[in-house]
Amino acid sequence: MSDRNNKIPYDEDNYTHNINRNNERMLDRRGFMKTLAGAAGVFAVSTLPWGAVAAKELMGLGDKEYPHQKIADVKDVKVGDSVKFHFPSEHDSAILIRLSENKYVAYQNACTHLRCPVYWVKDEQEMICPCHHGKFDASTGAPTAGPPRRPLPGIEVEVKDEAIYAVRVKRYEA
Amino acid sequence: MKRSYVGVILLAAILMMNIVFTQLVVHQYYYENYGVTLLYAGLNVLLFPVALFIYKKEKNKGGSKGYEERNLS
Repeated sequence: MSDRNNKIPYDEDNYTHNINRNNERMLDRRGFMKTLAGAAGVFAVSTLPWGAVAAKELMGLGDKEYPHQKIADVKDVKVGDSVKFHFPSEHDSAILIRLSENKYVAYQNACTHLRCPVYWVKDEQEMICPCHHGKFDASTGAPTAGPPRRPLPGIEVEVKDEAIYAVRVKRYEA
Repeated sequence: MKRSYVGVILLAAILMMNIVFTQLVVHQYYYENYGVTLLYAGLNVLLFPVALFIYKKEKNKGGSKGYEERNLS
């Protein structure tokens, strides 16, 4: 019984191992060169999207101006207070902080760590993300403590006719 | 059988340049040098026809007969 696996099956018409491969899967010199040329094509195609977005940036389409949106009236926002709003779309929550009499800053307040909403703590003069205690500097949006490493995206604001308007999202600068 | 490795070496060099250019494209994009990004992306695209040209020129060198001819009879 020990050699039952060693027996050579007797010669018969063989329907399962009758494929003559004839070296067709062999990788010869020409096949290898064909692979290399194909890989060059893959690299060429894969850089096209990068070129496209770079061209888009060069043409200035990245710095798009959104329709101005009124955030609040000046009289409703005291110095040191904050207002929540949404800009540029209704799904992008943002926060406006009045730092001094004439200085307003606004940021999209999704934390750059895991997108928890960042809020303004007036007593500590800091923006704090409650999820992992990330902190942001209110005047620049730069992260000062905790897990986030990138600044909050800033929003340009404009004061016109005793009201505060959101104008555009600032260019992201790492 | 005579061997010709010129095509293989040239194509390998082109593939190496492809890898380098792709890396440069990504880096220069994040450094916001968009003109340089476009330049490298263009070079990367141009390398493909060059590779095809080398392949077409070199595929029948080396052995006396091509693979198809060898296996015809």
